[in-house]
Amino acid sequence: MDFPVQVTQASSAHSQAHQTSLSRRDLIRAALLSAAASVLGPSFSLAQAIESGLTPAARGEDGAAYLTDPHWKAAFLNDHQNETLIALSDVIIPATDTSGAKAALVNRYLDLLISVQPSEFQQEFLAALKFIDSESQAQLGKEFLELSLEDQTWLLKPWAYTQQSSHWTERNDPHAQPADLAQQHFHRLKTLIAAAYYGSEIGQKELGWDGEFTHGPYEGCEHSDATHS
Amino acid sequence: MAQDPLQQTYDAIVVGSGATGGWAAKRLSEAGLKVALLEAGRAVTGREFTEHMPSFQLKYRNHSPEVMRTRPIQRQCYACMEYNYEWFVNDLENPYSTPPDRPFTWQRLRILGGRSLVWGRQSYRLSDVDFKAASRDGYDVDWPFSYSDLAPFYDIVENYVGISGAPEKNEMLPDGQFLPPMKMSCGEIRLRDSVKKTFGRTVTIGRTAIVTQPHNGRAPCHYCGPCERGCMTYSYFSSPFTTVKDALKTGNCTLITDAIVSHVDMDVSANKARGVTFVNRTTKETKHVRGKTVVLCAQALESTRILLNSSTQEYPKGLGNSSGLLGHYLMDHVVGGSASATFEDMQASPSANPPHRPNGIYLVRFRNTPAEGKHPHFIRGYGFQGGSMPDFNMDAAGIGADYKKAVKRGVYGVSLGAFGESLANLDNFCEIDPNLKDAWGIPALRISMAHGKNEAALMRDAAITGAEMLEAAGAKDIRLTTGTEMPGMAIHEVGTARMGNDPKKSVLDPFCRSHDVSNLLVTDGSGFVSSACQNPTLTMMAITVRACDHLVERFKRNEV
Repeated sequence: MDFPVQVTQASSAHSQAHQTSLSRRDLIRAALLSAAASVLGPSFSLAQAIESGLTPAARGEDGAAYLTDPHWKAAFLNDHQNETLIALSDVIIPATDTSGAKAALVNRYLDLLISVQPSEFQQEFLAALKFIDSESQAQLGKEFLELSLEDQTWLLKPWAYTQQSSHWTERNDPHAQPADLAQQHFHRLKTLIAAAYYGSEIGQKELGWDGEFTHGPYEGCEHSDATHS
Repeated sequence: MAQDPLQQTYDAIVVGSGATGGWAAKRLSEAGLKVALLEAGRAVTGREFTEHMPSFQLKYRNHSPEVMRTRPIQRQCYACMEYNYEWFVNDLENPYSTPPDRPFTWQRLRILGGRSLVWGRQSYRLSDVDFKAASRDGYDVDWPFSYSDLAPFYDIVENYVGISGAPEKNEMLPDGQFLPPMKMSCGEIRLRDSVKKTFGRTVTIGRTAIVTQPHNGRAPCHYCGPCERGCMTYSYFSSPFTTVKDALKTGNCTLITDAIVSHVDMDVSANKARGVTFVNRTTKETKHVRGKTVVLCAQALESTRILLNSSTQEYPKGLGNSSGLLGHYLMDHVVGGSASATFEDMQASPSANPPHRPNGIYLVRFRNTPAEGKHPHFIRGYGFQGGSMPDFNMDAAGIGADYKKAVKRGVYGVSLGAFGESLANLDNFCEIDPNLKDAWGIPALRISMAHGKNEAALMRDAAITGAEMLEAAGAKDIRLTTGTEMPGMAIHEVGTARMGNDPKKSVLDPFCRSHDVSNLLVTDGSGFVSSACQNPTLTMMAITVRACDHLVERFKRNEV
């Protein structure tokens, strides 16, 4: 069903991709500007035209191939961070009767994602990862990677539920990490891991996706009574 | 051999190929006029649609650094994605400025079809409560025409576009020509019934420009979900595959893509527009095209920019700006007031293979209605868009196998988000920034807009009434947002060249014609006198058809 467009002033088939004169600092500034919901200043108007055409998606490129490349190398994480992330993700989302986070290459996707985020985001992520190790050392005397699966679970589980404030614990244990800080770090990691897992093909299949995009018209509520049960 | 398209004199030059430009081209060329349709971007084909591509095939799963780098503003719109970002303007090439304390987000597409490729598709008529709002509450002025003047054109547009929806007989939201409505979920029916019973308010299925049965050669919606990535069955309305296609089929319409119009050319002695000047997007060459009339449909801010950049000795403050009001009264629906909750007593059982309904529910305005009377804290009102669907619960507590199970158990959420009227205010305006040009050397806009106290009160009230309605429907864990988002976020910008009968107090006449230059029309959202609270595109299209039919009559009477 291609659309017959009579183009009389067609652009040249392939315009040159121009190098932009923007420095990395400018790019970060642009990202921050947008985060601050501002608009670009005059200096950006000089930017060279960037090739306008199709997105990689519109060209049909399968971006997932990057993650399964046999020569894959981390873009951002060091080996220890990468191994820790693999272990952490597999405790949070293990293989059960379906595959878990490790098989879904959650670590590789997060490594790529974080590599292109603003440095503030990167630092928060690394701080959260480091927090897991320091808590592991403080409570169990080992790095997270060296713990047994049981101990890893024992360490993480309290952070995975809403905690209520307790006057007893706060008074009795002045050295305890404030629960909200620990939960912030853990929640940051869990949210990213869950998004990476359920956003993968393995994660989609875990939810029951059949690989199709259409499933008939939406039929809505078919209940005859008001309880909808 | 075909004639050089730039050596002809057209009856009409239409600038912009989106929702309104497509209609102008169709209506004028079908009436026998010779039309040049100018689009700043490239052509588009169905081959580049990505609605059936899973997000895991995107390298960055919608967090592409290329989008962050080149579309830092455009990506504030949910529809600008790693899939389709090339449809949106490159912010580096298309700058504008704002005062530091008055941010504005300006979402633009430059491609055949413009924003009609990615629009939200919600289509609601305005009523006389809107057109004559000033007469009721004393704020500002009425529109220069009534609902009955526009109703026949709403009919024409709806019958062609295909709007699925349900009639409600509610005076705030006139019924239209509807295709069969989409269905509601259990949660939505529960909310609808409770809201009617407890508050006497109307919840209806969204009225959306998506065909639910075969319509004008387009197949019905196949419920895949993400319309903003294109549609292989052309089930949602977008101009390239409907109005523009029809216009080209007449043989009377010449499409000129990659034509970035910088200004309108004037015949000074006759006080008439004689064409437009444009810059070729890729070669950056300057070209001219001649016409007996010029119809600007570039969207409110862009059309106004063209007029401001068309100053002459006779019109030093911008073409057609003898009133001094060009650029003023910029409006954009206020958003930010919302309520969401959970139907904890309803089994969610989400499915990974549901039909995805690309539509929500609509809760019709109930504040400051003739029936309810005046609200003590604000004038005008808001409508809610929302929905209630079971979904997977990635926010579930816990880790391990228990967490995986909890995710699949899901949650039955319900939410209402308000769109409020943005009051027309002289101090909300755009002008040319003398120090800023785009990548083609065309002076850029400085936009200065802020929502005021009335808009803030609307959003506060919306959060409260939203919570009350969810509470009454038995929803739990209610969460609110009460703020006002930055202007531009609704992407419903209108105003800047308001219509009116008095040339001293308006820029356009009631048929979208410049008071100052009789063969110059602006038929996009520029002419809106007030914003009402309904999504504006349907009204823009109806106004365009009305203005074009009026123009055709003038051609027939040899008045052009």
